[in-house]
Amino acid sequence: MSAKTLKLKIVTPEKVVLEEEVNQVTLPTMAGEITVLPEHIPLVSALKSGDVVAVANGEHIPFAVSGGFIEVKKNDNVTEVIILADFAEHVADITDEAIMKAKARAAELKTLHDKGEIVDFEHFEAELERSLTRVKIADKWRLKKYRK
Amino acid sequence: MASTKEIKRRIKSVKNTKKITKAMELVAASKMKRAVASALSSRVYARYSLEILESLSEAITESVNPLFVERPAAKTLFVLVTSNRGLCGAYNAQAIRQTMNFIKQSSVPIDFVTVGKKGDAALRRLGQNIVASFTELPDTLSLRDILPVASILFEEYGSQKYDHVYIAYTDFVSALSQKATIRQLLPISKEKIIKEVNGEIKERKNGKTDYTFEPSYEVLIEKLVEKLSRAQVYQMLLESMASEQSSRMVAMKNASEAAGEMIDDLTLVFNKARQSSITQEISEISAGMASVS
Repeated sequence: MSAKTLKLKIVTPEKVVLEEEVNQVTLPTMAGEITVLPEHIPLVSALKSGDVVAVANGEHIPFAVSGGFIEVKKNDNVTEVIILADFAEHVADITDEAIMKAKARAAELKTLHDKGEIVDFEHFEAELERSLTRVKIADKWRLKKYRK
Repeated sequence: MASTKEIKRRIKSVKNTKKITKAMELVAASKMKRAVASALSSRVYARYSLEILESLSEAITESVNPLFVERPAAKTLFVLVTSNRGLCGAYNAQAIRQTMNFIKQSSVPIDFVTVGKKGDAALRRLGQNIVASFTELPDTLSLRDILPVASILFEEYGSQKYDHVYIAYTDFVSALSQKATIRQLLPISKEKIIKEVNGEIKERKNGKTDYTFEPSYEVLIEKLVEKLSRAQVYQMLLESMASEQSSRMVAMKNASEAAGEMIDDLTLVFNKARQSSITQEISEISAGMASVS
C-alpha cells in the first residue's frame, strides 16, 4: 500500500500556483511553523510570510509565500490543504535577476519610507515584506536540493 | 443612378472602416484572452475564500465584525463598473440601465463611485452625486490596482457614512454572453454567502466540521473578511474587464461583417452603373454612326 497523501492547493488571486498530491506540507502560520500530515484535524489559520515546503516522494518542493490563509479539511477521507496566499512563487521561479530587483525595490521602499514619502503604510509594509521574503527564501534554498 | 465615381469613393471609405474594425476586433480578441484567463483563474481564489468564510460562519453564531452587521438603510453607496472606451456593444448601456432601475426603486439617497469613464459621464449627465471616480485602471489588473477602490468602500462603510454598498458589474458568462448584475457588497450577509457557496459547490457535504482556529477566531475573521471582500471586488472588476473585451470583440466582428456585406452591395451597384454607362456609350456611338451614314 502506498503512503497516505493529502491534496495540496496553493491559490493566489492571480492564479493557481500548485495543485498536487503530496505526503506532507510545512507552513509558516501566525502561531508558529506547523507541518500538516494526512489525517490532520480541520484547521483554519493565518499565514505569515516565509516558505511553504511540500514533500512528495521524498522530494522537497519549496514556495515563497507572503500573507494569506490556510484551511485544512477532510472530504471523503481525503485530507485537503488549501493555501490562499496573497503571493506565492516556486523558489525555482525566483531568478537571480528577480532577486536583484526585489532587493533594489526593498531598498528603494526603505529610503522612501525614511524620507516620509509613503502615506499608504499598510500597502507599503506588504510590499516590503514581499520583497524581503523573496530574497530570504531564495537565499535559504540556494544550496539545498529540491524538486523543480 | 449615382455616378460610378461616387460609388467608388464610398466603397473605399467602407473598406477603410472595415480595416479599422477588423484591427479593433483582433486587438480586443487578444485582450479578451488575457482578461478571461485572469478572471477564470481568480475565480478559484474567490471560491475558496468564500468556502473558508462559510466554515468560519458555521462555527460561530455571534458575529462581531461590523462588516457583518445589518444597519437600517439611510444612505447607499453604489459602485458602477463600466469601460473607459466605447464601441463595445451594449456593454455599458446595460450596466447603466440596471443602475437607472436601481435608482428608481431606491427610497434612500444614493452616492456613487464610478469605475470607467462611460458610467461616470452617464451619471454626471443625470446630475447624480459622485464621490469618487476611477478612470485610470490598467488593462491588465492586478490586485494592487484595485486597492484604492476597495479601501474607499470599506472606509466609507466603516465610518458609518453609508449603510449599504452595492456594486453593478458585468458578469462574464461566456464570450457571447455577459450579464449586467447588481450585488450587495456590504454588509456581508451570512445567508447570502452560504447560498452562493452552495450554488457554486454543490457536492459539499452538509455535516458540520469542528475547526480549530489559530491564533483565534477574532483575529482570523477580521483579516479574512477584509481580504475576502477585497478579493470579491477584484473578481468583479476582472469579470467586467473580460466582459468588456469580449463584448467589444463581438461588436467589432459584427461591424466588420456588416462592412463586408456593404462592400459587396456597393460593388454590385458599381458594376451595374459601369455596365449601363458602357451600354449607353455604345448605343450613342452606334446611333451617331447610323445618323451619319
